[in-house]
Amino acid sequence: MKPARATDGQELVHFGHLQFRARHLRAGLLLLGVAAALSLVSTMIGVTRIGGSDITALLRGGLVDDAGFALREVRLPRIAAGFMAGWCVALTGAMLQSLARNPLADPGLLGLSQGSMVMILLLILFAPAAPPMLLPFAAMTGALAVALALVLLVGRGGAGGLALLLMGIAVETMLSSVTQILILYSPPDMSYALSNWLAGSLSGADPAAVLALLPWFLFSLGMAVWLGRSLSTYDLGQDLAMSLGENVNRSRPLILVVSVLLSSAAVTAAGPLAFLGVMAPHLAGFLSPASGRPRLILSGLMGAVLVIAADMLTRSVSGELALPLGLSLTLVGVPLFVISLRLRALKTLSNR
Amino acid sequence: MRLLFLLPPLLASHATLAETVTDAMGRGVEIPDDPSRIVVLHEPLLGVPLADFGVDPVGSYGRADDGSSLMAADFYASILGDDAPDPAPRGIGAVGDIDLERLRALSPDLIIGTELDADKADQLTAIAPVYLQASSSGKVRGFETEKQLAALLDRTDAFEDRRAEYQEKLDRLKPIIPPGQSYLAVIVHDKINLVGEMSGAIQAIEDLGYNRLPLKADGPDNALGSTFAVPISSEAFGRMNPDLLVILSSYAGASHDEAGTRAQLDRVMPGWERFLKPAREGRIVWMDSTKVATPSIASAEHALDAIEAWSAQASKN
Repeated sequence: MKPARATDGQELVHFGHLQFRARHLRAGLLLLGVAAALSLVSTMIGVTRIGGSDITALLRGGLVDDAGFALREVRLPRIAAGFMAGWCVALTGAMLQSLARNPLADPGLLGLSQGSMVMILLLILFAPAAPPMLLPFAAMTGALAVALALVLLVGRGGAGGLALLLMGIAVETMLSSVTQILILYSPPDMSYALSNWLAGSLSGADPAAVLALLPWFLFSLGMAVWLGRSLSTYDLGQDLAMSLGENVNRSRPLILVVSVLLSSAAVTAAGPLAFLGVMAPHLAGFLSPASGRPRLILSGLMGAVLVIAADMLTRSVSGELALPLGLSLTLVGVPLFVISLRLRALKTLSNR
Repeated sequence: MRLLFLLPPLLASHATLAETVTDAMGRGVEIPDDPSRIVVLHEPLLGVPLADFGVDPVGSYGRADDGSSLMAADFYASILGDDAPDPAPRGIGAVGDIDLERLRALSPDLIIGTELDADKADQLTAIAPVYLQASSSGKVRGFETEKQLAALLDRTDAFEDRRAEYQEKLDRLKPIIPPGQSYLAVIVHDKINLVGEMSGAIQAIEDLGYNRLPLKADGPDNALGSTFAVPISSEAFGRMNPDLLVILSSYAGASHDEAGTRAQLDRVMPGWERFLKPAREGRIVWMDSTKVATPSIASAEHALDAIEAWSAQASKN
């Protein structure tokens, strides 16, 4: 790690060939610290009483019975799955916002999440005996179909981010109607279960689900590094990106496909985490304005922090009140989002 | 050497403790010899049939830690009255969101779910054996769920006793019902739904000799229609003219009696009393779905009571 200075005087830090501004690194470490602190508190929320000694015993491999079950089978998998799902959705949101050059773009708004959901619902409704391992493939098929439709409908090269966003909204609206029809005409109990899942849930997060999500999380780390540079040129606009040598005909479908894979993996693990893809990049930008790789990584970390905090809220009231993860996420994230927007507006006013 | 003598009795005792059966999803499940702490993942479809032949679940969805119901209807109390499980089953988390720690705290020796719980089975097996009973996908009807559960838990005698009680009631009522008549049953939620074949009410109605009026939305070709309920349009409902129209209140509503169901129907389909022929001719039986909707003998008995009361009233008029 070699300290240096950028042309604007800001401190730079190098990791091999990668270069970050020190303030981005500090923001990243802060978010990691918050995620770790929330995770620690989250391990202590639940019916089974768990203290620091239980966690120490678990680390030594000596924890059994109720506390061992609660930590190994319930709480740690939920934290890990929440971290990875939140990371993937927020990262996808940041990618799509750069691609569309619109701060409203996210996997939900472009119809990718709806594509996944429709395919998952079709599989559950018409092949209830299908093995659960098919769900991620169904989710990816649905989202890929939406991405393909978007690429075809928007056309190659010439159309801008706004066209992509508007076409995405049209596709999303159509697919959400299909989702509603499927739920309406499914048997009442299944309809209730599906509605519950559509509101977001980490209740299915067990060690196997964490292992299934892990490869996608690792894949997203690689993609954040690889696609970061391309996305920083997209932030400047498509024409400027092309003049800087960015092959948009190749990189745009590639970014869409990566977004599809990551949002599908997250939807399969936790259901659609509505608005997270918009909220997390905004909050990360408020904490430390960035573009390219730092923006992707900070957005991913912010998404992970928000989902862990939301799951804490869900589990702290669980038992008598059904508080879906999506609702908790709204309760946790939206006030922060509103405050950050107000503070940003006040800052802009004071700078005039 | 002494181990060689000890091993056969040990193996034999293990063999009597558990039996492997195949559940509705084709999974091999090791069922304990006499499970005493059963948790059900669906109260009306599984819990009530179990309690009906005397096996009280220790936990189910939609209940608080003290056993009080968090749902619009307490099916155990409504259907079984004084015979409802005592103490009431404790909650295992909010509806649709199982709290694994709460579930484990109940120390279950068997978890029974429906085929719709297949996605949770592997996760729950870490706590207790999970048996998935065909209940929700239209493959069983009437009392079959209760009969299969009784066989699973070796309580067939108790089930047959309950069926004999039901048969006695049925034999008393059947002679006053004209033969060869048709029926249709609907349940009124925020829209009108045709009731399928898997409730105690339908078993009782068909045992009395009524035949289901054939409809396009119903039948073996429509898998969803053969389960509990499937939505129908108000227009289709308005044209219905079975000899007996059975209208069930919504179990999600606050009021389950005739007046409440009429009010609900007024909201969904204003003016229904004027153009619905069975309404004009007094051929409607009102039933409380919190009593008759489960696939249990007790629900079927409540349905017989409702038809008996309607028949007595009709003969007076």
